[in-house]
Amino acid sequence: MAKNDLQGTLDLLVLKTLAHNGALHGYGIVLHIQDASGELLRVEEGSLYPALHRMEQSGWIASEWALTETNRRAKYYKLTAQGRRQLQQAEESFDQLVKGVRAVLRYA
Amino acid sequence: MAMFRRVANLFRLSKVDREIDAELQAHIDLRVEDNLARGMSPAEARRDALVRFGNPTSTRESVAAADATLGLDRIWFDIRYACRQLLKSPGFTITAVLTLALGIGANTAIFSSMDAVVLRPLAVPQLDRVVTVAEKGQREIAGYLQVALADYEDWNRQSRSFEQLAVLTSSDMSLTGSGDASHVRVAHNSANFFTVLRVQPIVGRVFDGSECQPGRDGEAVLNYGFWQRRFASDPGVLGRKLELDQRQYTVIGVLPKSMQYPSEAEVYLPFAPTPQQLADRSAHDYLVIGRLRDGITLKQTQAEMRTIADRLAQAYPVTNLGWSIKIEPLLDGINGDLTPLYYRLIMGATLFVLLVVCANVANLQFARGIQRRPEIAMRTALGASRMQIVRQLLTENILLALVGAAGGLGLGAVYLHFTLISMPDRVARYMAGWSNISLNFRVVAFSVVIALAAGVISGFAPALEALRVNLADQLKAGSRSVTGSGRSRRLRSIFAVAQISLAVALVIGAALMAKGMWGMLHLADVYEPNKTLTFSVTLPVARYDTARKQAAWYAASLEKLRALPGVKQAEITTALPYSDRGWMQDCDLENRPVMPGKFQTALRLPVSEGYFSAMHIPLAAGRIFSKSDSIDSQLVAVVSSKFVAQYFPDQNPLGHRVRMGHDAQGPWLTIVGVVGEANYSFWDPTQHPVVYMYAAQMPPPGAMFAVVTDGDALSLAAPARKALATIDPALPLDAVLTYQQMLHDDLLGLIYAAVMLGVDALIALLLAAIGIFGVMANLVGEQTREIGVRLAMGARREDVLGLILRRASWLTAAGLGCGLLLAFALAHMVANLLRGVRPDDPVVFTGITALIAIIALASSWIPARRASRVDPMLALRSE
Repeated sequence: MAKNDLQGTLDLLVLKTLAHNGALHGYGIVLHIQDASGELLRVEEGSLYPALHRMEQSGWIASEWALTETNRRAKYYKLTAQGRRQLQQAEESFDQLVKGVRAVLRYA
Repeated sequence: MAMFRRVANLFRLSKVDREIDAELQAHIDLRVEDNLARGMSPAEARRDALVRFGNPTSTRESVAAADATLGLDRIWFDIRYACRQLLKSPGFTITAVLTLALGIGANTAIFSSMDAVVLRPLAVPQLDRVVTVAEKGQREIAGYLQVALADYEDWNRQSRSFEQLAVLTSSDMSLTGSGDASHVRVAHNSANFFTVLRVQPIVGRVFDGSECQPGRDGEAVLNYGFWQRRFASDPGVLGRKLELDQRQYTVIGVLPKSMQYPSEAEVYLPFAPTPQQLADRSAHDYLVIGRLRDGITLKQTQAEMRTIADRLAQAYPVTNLGWSIKIEPLLDGINGDLTPLYYRLIMGATLFVLLVVCANVANLQFARGIQRRPEIAMRTALGASRMQIVRQLLTENILLALVGAAGGLGLGAVYLHFTLISMPDRVARYMAGWSNISLNFRVVAFSVVIALAAGVISGFAPALEALRVNLADQLKAGSRSVTGSGRSRRLRSIFAVAQISLAVALVIGAALMAKGMWGMLHLADVYEPNKTLTFSVTLPVARYDTARKQAAWYAASLEKLRALPGVKQAEITTALPYSDRGWMQDCDLENRPVMPGKFQTALRLPVSEGYFSAMHIPLAAGRIFSKSDSIDSQLVAVVSSKFVAQYFPDQNPLGHRVRMGHDAQGPWLTIVGVVGEANYSFWDPTQHPVVYMYAAQMPPPGAMFAVVTDGDALSLAAPARKALATIDPALPLDAVLTYQQMLHDDLLGLIYAAVMLGVDALIALLLAAIGIFGVMANLVGEQTREIGVRLAMGARREDVLGLILRRASWLTAAGLGCGLLLAFALAHMVANLLRGVRPDDPVVFTGITALIAIIALASSWIPARRASRVDPMLALRSE
């Protein structure tokens, strides 16, 4: 049974973004998701940061303060080994969800 | 939580909050930068960034909340849930808490007294930086008063490793002026002694340096106990006079209770050496302590002192050749070797008991886990992760252990109360740190730590086991079967076996210790020690300055004592058998030079003429002392058979002459008799050669009296005191006790250790019995149906009984097997502590093994009987 919800989707997006880009700060994550989705998805800052902190507490991602290209201090996040496993699970789970929803839509 | 956070924020921004703010601010700034790069005006760029970000305060709150949920909130939830679960099964909770309280309480109590006596006997700041500096001759001499004053002066000038060095020496002085004359133990110390220890007086001041010159040293600092006893803790004690050895001293300060060093010192007087003393390199009579400079190690100091010792040996070969310098942490010297060893043994045993307790609680949890399966399954089905369930179950255990720790502190307090009141004051006074024993912060911290450890240890296996639930089976409607898996049963059996083996080891260790202690307590029984009164007297050199005066006092005192009604014999000696007070001395035999590098030693014992008959020491050859030997006649000696065997093998020693001590001017004593052996030490099993001399000819400066009575020895204490006061009223009697009490006091540490080990063993045994009972009862409960089937199929009740008992026997046998191995290790430790203990004592080993086997089988008898009485019809129908 696929276990998913909207929050789970945000987690998935963030994890995938970090898997793809290595270390990124919050603003970079927002930009990446926007670009990669062809401007279809826009992440709210109000939900992104709580999600980042929650995932850090769960041990999926780790953070570190570093300087940006413009020499500004920002908090960079990167995936942990546990986060990588979580990403894999979440991706499978999401595929199931999509399959399931599509099947229902087709049936109806 | 949010409320709390807001309140807290009124006062300060926590580090976490500041970080969140910085992170969010960085986000806004980055967007402003991008906007600027895209060509917006600064104001526009900023406005856009803020608008896109939304409400920063609410975002910050939710971020903070995300940080907190997995922290405190989660734990709090687990705790509340655990409380509810524990309250639901009060029987389990009470049993578990009580066992844990027992285990933790025992550990808390032992730790608190070990902490005070062994780990921190002195409340001295940075005690680990304080060392004793001793001079060591070619042979190790016991005790620490070993430094010659001139050497100390040189160290002081030459060494760089110490912040400061201080010197002290001890003596007994007579306290007169009010009431009975009595002895006080006095430390004569340099002023910086208090600086080295960094001790602050609680009343008045300590020496400031001006006192430590001859003539200006009439000031005294009191220790806490003496201040309490003698001055009833009067804060106005400053300026009061103290008359010691007929000299007046003014009290200037009182030391705190936590500062008792040297452990027997009651009064501290300034040490004011004379120029001759300061130039002396041969009287090794002083104790030197020092505080190491910061950053200097013990090793570096030892190296530096070695070069100084070499330099002194070159400069003063006559006195200093062959002497080296030995540096030890002060702590090592305070308790000697035995006390820390006892404490380590007991602490180890008590931690063992805690392990048994943990095994017991784990066993209870296993049993409970089977009933809780539906609950766990339900939570898993509702989405709890494995981690969450394990954490929940561990929280429950830790909670149990913490409640147990609270109970344990209570038990510990009761235990401490009994230990403190059962320790006689006359012994406690000499135990450094004994008066500091209390349930202080360190003790509470210790019990919390072991409670946490116990919670985790006892909870881990059951928690992991609980995860192995089969969701589908458990949630099937109507399934109420509660059978344990084979795995869980195996685990429980392992715990029961572990309990039995720990109990076996502890009981055998305790039995060996008790046996050894019993043996030692009764070693001296031949002397009928309860009928003998002992006390000691030291004749002050000032008034008894010649041997003749001393001998006259001894003669008069013995005459008075022998005249008392009820006295069979009154004798003097310097050491009674097993008193460990003997004095080993070098001895020379006339016309028999000692080979260089070899040493001839013997115990030197001046005794009165009736001593041999009083102590049942038989005469082997020649004669013993008689009244006709006097100070003016030929000086005579009686030696022990061991002396003859060692120094006159196969020869007749009678008529030969012996001289005691290094002193070439010392008198030669003619050997007139040989007597049998007596043992002068509890701890040292070697039989040393003894030279007895006649106290009337060679009176010692102090002596121990042995008054043999025909009944109650203590009732003679008052008449004896009165009789002796008629000769010299200013002469105090010390340690007026029966011989029995004296020996008992010497063995107190051992008795304490044996009793504690016994208590530990008893608890372990009880818990092991409960443990095996629990396992068997559970097994029978789970297999009721199977037993029912067997009975229905025609099995006899005896068969069922046998089936269950066979299983119990297996557990017991496995436990005994492992336990005996452990016991051998423990037995070797005990045997090293005590003389007369065989680590392979067959009686103890077989006896205890049989006892535990019987107890284990007896505790499985009740479940086994219940199994054999199962009604097959009921058992089958209930499914």
